Order: sequence, then structure tokens, then C-alpha cells
Amino acid sequence: MIRVENLNKTFDGRLVLDNISVTFETGKTNLIIGRSGSGKTVLLKSIVGLHEPDNGEIWFEDILFNNLDFEERKKIREQMGMLFQGSALFDFFTVEQNVRFPLDMFTGKTLEEKTERVNFCLKRVDIINSNKLYPSELSGGMKKRVAIARAIALNPKYLFCDEPNSGLDPLTAILIDELIKELTEEYSMTTIVNTHDMNSVVEIGEKVIFIHEGIKCWEGTNKEILHSDNQILNDFVFANSLAKQLKSTENNNSV
Amino acid sequence: MLVFLRQLGLYFIMLKKVFSKPEKPLIYYQQTMHEMVYLGVNSVGIISIISFFMGAVITLQTAYNTENPIYPTYLIGLGCRDSIILEFSSTISALILAGKVGSNIASEIGTMRVTEQIDALEMMGVNSASYLILPKIIATLLFNPLLTLISIIVAILGGWLAGTTAGVITSEDFIYGIQYAFIPYYITYSIIKTLFFAFIITSVSAFHGYFVEGGSLEVGRASTKAVVYSSVLILLFNVILTQLLLS
Ligand SMILES: Nc1ncnc2c1ncn2[C@@H]1O[C@H](COP(=O)(O)OP(=O)(O)OP(=O)(O)O)[C@@H](O)[C@H]1O
Ligand SMILES: [Mg+2]
Repeated sequence: MIRVENLNKTFDGRLVLDNISVTFETGKTNLIIGRSGSGKTVLLKSIVGLHEPDNGEIWFEDILFNNLDFEERKKIREQMGMLFQGSALFDFFTVEQNVRFPLDMFTGKTLEEKTERVNFCLKRVDIINSNKLYPSELSGGMKKRVAIARAIALNPKYLFCDEPNSGLDPLTAILIDELIKELTEEYSMTTIVNTHDMNSVVEIGEKVIFIHEGIKCWEGTNKEILHSDNQILNDFVFANSLAKQLKSTENNNSV
Repeated sequence: MLVFLRQLGLYFIMLKKVFSKPEKPLIYYQQTMHEMVYLGVNSVGIISIISFFMGAVITLQTAYNTENPIYPTYLIGLGCRDSIILEFSSTISALILAGKVGSNIASEIGTMRVTEQIDALEMMGVNSASYLILPKIIATLLFNPLLTLISIIVAILGGWLAGTTAGVITSEDFIYGIQYAFIPYYITYSIIKTLFFAFIITSVSAFHGYFVEGGSLEVGRASTKAVVYSSVLILLFNVILTQLLLS
């Protein structure tokens, strides 16, 4: 469980996150949704400590994360995996070296053990026979999947995904969403996913929070989201014609 | 002025991070070896070419400027040797390397910053400054003195070849000249300068890359700045070191 309390973040005096409080649950895919520029990435990076919040508290279980120093954070960080918006694979490393990197840095395993783990993770995300390729030789979807493999290499308790399926075709996007959901359940991780894709919301949004201009406007599940009476949320949700149709057929069925 | 002080502060904060204890010495060792090839061995070619022509020109210039019967020709060899060892091989090589290696380091690290690769390292709990920059600093500190020695040898060779082909000096005179009143300390002096310059090039360029904000445009700017700042600092330190070491 990850708990955020009264989080504020400004950049050069401009308020980007305004008093956010939210609890992300274990074993569930928690979604942060909102328009481009609403503050999703900043929120995610504040949670993992890549941005220092101005004030507020971030709790990992019963540990107050933002009070820890670099060394103490490291212990918790070893339990985190993160997928960045642009994949952020190390481009001087091959696919295999990328996934092995956290194992090299934080475990004392032998090369065989590490290679075995790398191949397991790559297989889990359906990347086979690409071990020796460099990131520049991969497609966008493959990069995301390799990045997921790297994120789960150390068997994390917490998984953070910043727009895992932006820029992908709908089919690949759904596969990645499903992969994240499966992994979350399989290893009972606390997963937080940033997205503005309504398909993802409907597919994997077990818990959804909606951010608008740095303010948390709404919180609920993918079942509830279509029936909210929050105007800003509805503008966001029903900008997508699919969601509109979904709502109208549901209404018709219930009549 | 305020901006400058802020930058200076940031630079030293970065250095402090760079020189904190490595997490996994073995990995740092491997990275250092890799950088040695990447930043060092790959520069042997350009340094050799430039040194060769530099030596050639210096010899010819010295020869044409001293066309005087009472001036023994072996002094051409001597003058050529001293200016190469004292100035050209260390300082000019450093300026060339600031252009080649400096822009390379700044754009590599800058790209890693804007594509969130540095975030990914930090996120995993890796000290990114140390992991990315320390191997480069160590590699250039170890390898650049070798580059300077190569430069000295190739430049003198170039001088000899140019001088004898152009007929301004005989081979015997040149060889006599480069051995005449040789002061070994000059080599030490040249190496000391090289070490300072290597540190300047690597750390200043890494600094400009490490703190890039924005996108590819800013990365380009950072690599230009890296070259300009390290070149100016090299020239400045050249004066300071010459005063300190030779006075
Ligand atoms: N390092 C930074 N310095 C200054 N402002 C920033 C910084 N990072 C983000 N911002 C600002 O914070 C706001 C929120 O940005 P953020 O990246 O969180 O948006 P987002 O919701 O992730 O958008 P997208 O869906 O496009 O990724 C933006 O207005 C942005 O300009
Ligand atoms: Mg974002």
C-alpha cells in the first residue's frame, strides 16, 4: 500500500500538484488519469522521490518515505520498478544488459543465475530472440516491454508505469495493459499506472483517480466512472466516442 | 554573477556526488575500461594527425624565421622540441579533445537526462553522477597523458620529416638539436598540465550534460557550451600552471 497525504509541488512558484491525498492499494492496478499537463508524471515522480515535494507525506506501508536519506531510500527503491513515459532504456546496453542491470547493481548472483532471471523476465513480456539487440533497433512497443522486464527484474513490490501504452496501436496497448494487470495480481504488487487512455481505464482500472490541473477531482473504480456526475470528469471520459457508446448502451439496457 | 555562482555551486555538488564511494567497484572498473577505449583509444588517430602537421609547421616556421648564418641550424630542432613539449602537445591536444571528447560527453549525458535514463538510474537507487561520470574522469586521467606522449613523438617526427624534405635542416642537425640540453622536467610539466586539462574537459562537459533541462535542442546547446567553457578554462589554467610550474 502506498499512501500520499496532502502533497504539494510547485515549479518556480507555479503550483503543479495541489494538496493531493490518495491511497494506492496492494494487488490492484491503480490508475492516475487526467489530461496532458495535468500533473500525472509529476505526481508519480514525487511518489518515487525523483521530485522532492514541497510538503506532504508519502508512506510506503508504514514507512515515511520522503523523510529518508539517499541510503535509506535505496532499500525501498530496490523494491520498486518503474516504466518511464519514454521507456528510458539505457541505449549503450543491449536488451539483455538492460534487464540485467538492476541484478548487476543490487544482487550478488552469478552470471548464470542472472541470465536465467533475465530470460525469464523477457519471456514473461514476450520478447524472445532479441537479447543482443540495442534499444535503437527495437520498435516502440518492444521498448516498453523490455522496460517492463527491467522493472520487474528484481521482483518489485511496487510497480510504477508512466503511460505504458501511449503511442502504441490499440491491440499492443491492450496486451501491455493486460500484462501489467497480470503481473500485479501474480506478484501481488502495488501498481500505479498513469494514463489518458480510456480503454485502459475500462480494462484495468480497479481503482482510478482523476487529476485536473493538479487537483484530485475524483476517485472511484472503472465501474463507477461512467456514471459519475462530476462535470470535469465527464468531459474527459466522454471525449472518447467509445465511452459514449458504452454509456448509451448501458443506459438502454437498464431502461 | 549570481547565475555564475549558482553554476559553480552546482558543479561542486556534482563533484561531491561523483566522488562518493562506488557501490560496485567491479562495475566501475568495467565502465572505466570501456571509457578508456571510447574516449581515449578513439582519439589516438585525430591527435596523431594534428600533431604531425603541427610539428611540421613549427619546424618550417622556426627555420624560415631564423635564416641567419650565425645561428646554428640544430637550434631549429631544439626550438621545435621545446615548443612541442611545453605548449603544443599538451595545450593544443587538450583543446582538440575538448572539442571531440567534451561535446561527446555532454551530448551523451545530456541525452540520458532528457530521455529519463538518469531518472531511471536514480530511481533504482544508483548514484547516477558517480556511475556515469567517475569512470570517464578516471579513464581520461589515465589515458590523456599517453595521448600527450604520442602527440610529442608524432609531432617531432612530423617536424623531422618536414624539415628534411624541405631541405631547411639536415637529419643529423635535427636529431642533434632535439637531444641538445634536454630537460626531462619539461615532460613532467607537460603531463601535469595534461592531467589538469583532462579533468577540466571531462568534469565540465559532464556538468553541462548532467543538468540539461528540456529536449534535443538543449542537449545541442549544452554540448556547445561544454566545448566553449572547457576550452576557456584550459587556456586560463594553462597560464596559471605555467606560472606555477616554470617560474
Ligand atoms: N521539471 C519541471 N520543471 C518545471 N515545470 C514542470 C517540470 N515538470 C513538469 N512541469 C510542469 O508540470 C505540469 C504537469 O506536467 P506533467 O508532466 O506531470 O503532465 P502529465 O500529466 O504527465 O502530462 P502528459 O500526459 O502529457 O505526460 C506541466 O504544466 C509542466 O509544464
Ligand atoms: Mg506525463
